[in-house]
Amino acid sequence: MDLTYSPIEGKSRGYRIMVAILSVMVAVMATSYLVAYLNGLQVWGISNSVPWGQLITLDIYFIGLSAGAIVVSGLCYVLRREEYKPIGRIAVFMGLLLFTGAMVCVLVDLGRPEKFWRLFMYGYLNNMTSMFAINSIWYGGYILLMLVYLWLALENKTRLAMIVGTIDVLWAIGVHSFTGAIFGLIGTREILFSPIKPFEFIAAALTSGTALLILVVVVAFKFSKRYIDKKVILSLGRLLSIIIIVLFAMVFFDKFTHIYFPHRAGTVFLFTGHYWWLFWVFQIGMGLIIPLIILFHPKAGKSVKGVVIASISVVIGVLGERAALVIPGTAQVQQLYPGTIEGVWGAAGVFPITLWETALALGIVALVALLFVVGLKYLELLPTTEVAEVGEAPEASEVSEASVSTVEAEG
Amino acid sequence: MSVSNSDLSSSKGRKGSRSSVTRRTFLKVSALTGAAVAASRIIKYPEISPLASAQASTEGVITEKWINTSCLNCPTRCATQVRVVNGKAVKILGNPLSEVSEGEICPRGHIGLQVLYDPGRVSGPLKRTNPVKGRGVDPDWIPISWSQALGEVSARLKSLRDKAQPHKLLLLHGLNTISNEDMIHRFADAYGTPNVISGDALENEAEKSGRWMADGNYSHVAYDFGQTNYLLSFGASIIESEKPLARNLRMWGKIRRERPTRAKVVVIDPRYSVTAAKADQWIPINPGTDGALAMAIANVIISEGLYDAEFVRNWTSGFDEYKELALNYYSPEKMATVTGIDADITRQIAREFAQTKPAIAWIGRGVAGWPNGSYNSYAIFCLNALVGSIDAPGGVIYQEDPKYRDMPEPVEDDAAKGGKAKPRLDFRKTSLFPSAEVVTNQVADSILNGDPYSVEMAIGFNSNFNMSAPGTWRWDEALKKVPYYVHIAPFISEMAEYADIILPASTFLEEWAYDHSPPGSGFAEAKLKQPVVEPLHDTRGITDIIFEIAGRLGGTAAQSFDGIGGDAQGFVRYRTGTIVPWQEFREKGIWVGPAYQYHKYDHIFNTPSKKFEFYSGNLEKALKKTGQVGGRLACLPHYKEAEFLGDRGGYPLVLSTYQPLLNIENGNQNYPWAQEIFLVMHGVGWTNFVEINSQTARFLGIRDRDTVWVESPFNRIKVRARVIEGIHPQVVSIAYGQGHYADGRWQKGIGVNPNEIIGVSYDQLSGQSSLFNTRVKVYRA
Amino acid sequence: MAKWGMVIDLDKCAGCQACTVACKEENSVPHGSPQEQGQRREIYWNRVIAVSKGEYPTVRVEFIPIPCMHCEDAPCVTVCPAKATYRRDDGIVIQDFRRCIGCRYCIVACPYGVRGFNFKDQTEEEYHRPDLPPTRADRGPWPFPQRIRGVVEKCTFCFHRIDQGLKEGKKIGVDVVPACVEACPTKARTFGDLDDPDSEVSRLLATRGSFRLREELSTHPKVYYLHG
Repeated sequence: MDLTYSPIEGKSRGYRIMVAILSVMVAVMATSYLVAYLNGLQVWGISNSVPWGQLITLDIYFIGLSAGAIVVSGLCYVLRREEYKPIGRIAVFMGLLLFTGAMVCVLVDLGRPEKFWRLFMYGYLNNMTSMFAINSIWYGGYILLMLVYLWLALENKTRLAMIVGTIDVLWAIGVHSFTGAIFGLIGTREILFSPIKPFEFIAAALTSGTALLILVVVVAFKFSKRYIDKKVILSLGRLLSIIIIVLFAMVFFDKFTHIYFPHRAGTVFLFTGHYWWLFWVFQIGMGLIIPLIILFHPKAGKSVKGVVIASISVVIGVLGERAALVIPGTAQVQQLYPGTIEGVWGAAGVFPITLWETALALGIVALVALLFVVGLKYLELLPTTEVAEVGEAPEASEVSEASVSTVEAEG
Repeated sequence: MSVSNSDLSSSKGRKGSRSSVTRRTFLKVSALTGAAVAASRIIKYPEISPLASAQASTEGVITEKWINTSCLNCPTRCATQVRVVNGKAVKILGNPLSEVSEGEICPRGHIGLQVLYDPGRVSGPLKRTNPVKGRGVDPDWIPISWSQALGEVSARLKSLRDKAQPHKLLLLHGLNTISNEDMIHRFADAYGTPNVISGDALENEAEKSGRWMADGNYSHVAYDFGQTNYLLSFGASIIESEKPLARNLRMWGKIRRERPTRAKVVVIDPRYSVTAAKADQWIPINPGTDGALAMAIANVIISEGLYDAEFVRNWTSGFDEYKELALNYYSPEKMATVTGIDADITRQIAREFAQTKPAIAWIGRGVAGWPNGSYNSYAIFCLNALVGSIDAPGGVIYQEDPKYRDMPEPVEDDAAKGGKAKPRLDFRKTSLFPSAEVVTNQVADSILNGDPYSVEMAIGFNSNFNMSAPGTWRWDEALKKVPYYVHIAPFISEMAEYADIILPASTFLEEWAYDHSPPGSGFAEAKLKQPVVEPLHDTRGITDIIFEIAGRLGGTAAQSFDGIGGDAQGFVRYRTGTIVPWQEFREKGIWVGPAYQYHKYDHIFNTPSKKFEFYSGNLEKALKKTGQVGGRLACLPHYKEAEFLGDRGGYPLVLSTYQPLLNIENGNQNYPWAQEIFLVMHGVGWTNFVEINSQTARFLGIRDRDTVWVESPFNRIKVRARVIEGIHPQVVSIAYGQGHYADGRWQKGIGVNPNEIIGVSYDQLSGQSSLFNTRVKVYRA
Repeated sequence: MAKWGMVIDLDKCAGCQACTVACKEENSVPHGSPQEQGQRREIYWNRVIAVSKGEYPTVRVEFIPIPCMHCEDAPCVTVCPAKATYRRDDGIVIQDFRRCIGCRYCIVACPYGVRGFNFKDQTEEEYHRPDLPPTRADRGPWPFPQRIRGVVEKCTFCFHRIDQGLKEGKKIGVDVVPACVEACPTKARTFGDLDDPDSEVSRLLATRGSFRLREELSTHPKVYYLHG
């Protein structure tokens, strides 16, 4: 199918309002960052007990989404599955933007962001046993790869795109595994410590990335009145359901192992401590159970609407999963000595939701969204075929023309 | 087929088309990086002023000196060394030459830096412009000059004398240096008022009177702690609040791990204190019944023949009566219901106490602060005699104090003589309080009742009885009634809010003084206080202030202050001149007296029989003098049943209090280093609690950290509850040191002050305020 | 090369917290506030915790002073990306404020909770030492004259005293000790070279039963506790 892509017009009222709102939110983000930078991170909810908060949660979430989007883009560019071509470019673009958002999160989370360049001083000022340092290589390379990948996709250089795409997909898996390793090898935090963490992260990335892609595609195509075969959505939904099962297995075995000693206390805290709802309601409920129920329902699982609802649930649930790692992971009391540790030293951490941190986090989300909608206008991301109404099949002539052509002259 | 217009391009066949994305991103990224690198160069760390330094230690040092002085954050007055760099005090350590503390200090010593640099200090004399006085009323201070302030104060003092009413001047003093106290007393003598009131009767006067009944020495008991092998602590939190604290801490380390024999420590206390936590055995006791336990222990020791027969025979009198009393009325079985302690436990510790030599029975604040405090103390003190631990190594010892040069007698005119002959406001040594040397808390009631006469003027030297005395509401009313009150302290405390004039005093790190520790070491040690920095504010030392005022009063008052040095430094030099050469004293900061001599039995007993008395001849005399006739029992150690304020039915629990170590005893708690770690047992700071037994709490439906009311028959306060295991089920406890309402960023509005609900009662003999006998009820707020 | 370690006698420790205060005094550590304590943002280089067991009347509370353990296999050193915390040859795990980017990974990784992040600048009025820092070369390990926000700090075994003492030829562990050891009135804390068989720390470890905190994590802390 020889698809042509075109940017959206971007002149509608709805579009302008959306850009305006997002721009305001980005301005709020800039302000909240300035407030945090000038006053110190006391304006956030973090503490010496829970040192990582919304920003890191959002960071790993975005990395996951990005990796997931890139891997799904591989269906189009690596596996060269025709039916996914309409969403290929969107997927790569999303991957790039989400990762940009993640890097913004990391940068603003630093106590002294002007020194971030130290992360790249390999061998001299850098400590390569640190996952952050190792990840600076992964993340740096990932950005470069995605830029090249996107460019190749936009230029329709399918053969090179396949090569670079393959590398990028594998690299994305590497990126997110090592992001998981940031947490997985911290021996002192029982909730974090596990060799499965990297795999759990990849599975979560794939579920959330696929789910977000589904949502973005459905919404973008709907509002720009472009055509997408609903079979694409449904097959993504099937992919989603399989990955959710994989994730479920990962989470299950991780927690199951840790119910046994020696790391039992952490799991008990996660299950029954004051952040139990992050785990049970979000991670398990919205991230796993509800989407599975919907996707395996004979009717719902086969409708776009059902897939969309399941995707919304997954997107929120996986955010909760990230939070359930970061917050209770560090809030758990460190049992320095047997007995009841009195006072503040023995109290589990709390993480309050604060204005400036939330504004900053939402602002970064808005930034990514803004870049996305602006990109839709200036880049050729969406397939050109338009339909008057959503779900309508395009005019027969177009379809036949498109499907007949097997132009792959450029390899 | 509709195709979008503008910016449309098929992505095929356009060279270099959408590389603007790449370019844009590249530009963005590089701009950002450039900015970041530039930023990290521009954001400089604050520079210190460039200095050329001869000092090898650290860059930035122009001048560095170590000054030997001493501390005053509690009555122990440990000798310290202060490091002063570039004119700023940066470090406080113990003075290694001190033998009382062996060069150690407790955390309060270090907090001296925050006392010195407390931003809440008064920077100059203040005058009140709001005539209304009351709690929470803004005095509307205006700054005035020293000459104006002193002029006004002197004028008032003069006029009072001119009216031949010098006795209506009330002098109150809290924690001051010994030299300042000497000056205050001299001023009172020269001026003509008998009303010098210290805060001692809020501490443990009953301990003094209890032991005075036995050996005629009206002073705190000193214990040769470092050499003892068995320590039986009655209500004494030795390593948390008993003085001299730093010495106690050092000796603790010694007796537990630095000698061949490890001392055994048993703590008897309704509360599981820090000392109980470190001890070998904690025995919770029914509140107020320590006297009964002491007598039961005596019963066991005597009945099993474990007492030191030789000492008893040679150096005690009245043993037979004592023995009969103990044997007939105080068997452990009988006392078990009184104390709540099993008879076998009583027997166990009695035997251990008698058979582990040497042993100490330590009288703590917890047993003194009761209406039966004197008798509790007497009974416990006698245990030491029973086992021969009197003036013996590892037992009770008799403190030597530095013998300062005697001052000439103050010059008294008729006004002074007349004033001093008047009855005292606190009714000490009257039939009300026969052997008392001061009855602090009585003064509030005397002022309110105008009995025996009204008070015209009061001066407070570092006093804060509006917080530290039980029944605080009476002090508030009393201070309102005093027509003219002058407060002299470095900061504005709760009491100072009633002042008409505030004269800002220098802190102990800025003044000249001499000091010595409360009893504990046995040998004498004099400590110097010398300024480590120039006074930070327009303040003066108390001694200097008194010299000034006396000079302005003229006449005999001024004459009484002639020839004793002229100013603070001169005064200290004059008084210590007979002990140690001035230069040496300034260099070393201390003078250590000769080594302690034990077994001075021929001159330590100031009793009619010149021996240790199990039947108190001294008390018999005192009672007779004040016209009270008691039976024999009144002069014997015995258990006088604890009296409580409030009935058991309405107020089922007993309120106890304690002094955590980080309670800075100068009337202020505006020190973050002390506040943030205030309660080590509970792992929290910046607060206090009502500590309540877990079973009791369950019964009352109170959970840990619930907000509750603690209500006594007099008042109630709202505070959070701390549910713990380490307290007697019928006792609740609140730590002192919080509940300030005077300004102070780090103290105001934090925690509660239990004195606001503690009622007023006394140990009649000594005038000691009862601190632990108020009954309360606790319920959810 | 010396291997500096500390031995804390839990029997002698009286829970007085002089060590906590003296350390703050020596190193100009920012003090907290009621809000910060509630938010768990107070910074302590040394703290004394109370651990309780039992029920009335058989209660037990133990006081345990906790400085930085200066682990031989320090998790914080492993995870610091900018080498802001690193292990010196003499075993001290030092903190270089110039390099710290404030990512707080070390706080996540530390099993003993001994690290604190500066959530705000230290205020001017807070007492601080005009004689810091040492020479410009050491400027990194020393935060001066007051803390800047955004960096992590922790106990340094008073390396400045040790380095100065070595320069002056003094005996470390005898003449020169960290501020907490110097301040302890019961003399419960001892400091010295664990590799020196004649040092007091070695002697104590040889003559009494000792343990370290969370030994199962194999961080090999160099602060040993003698049983209370």
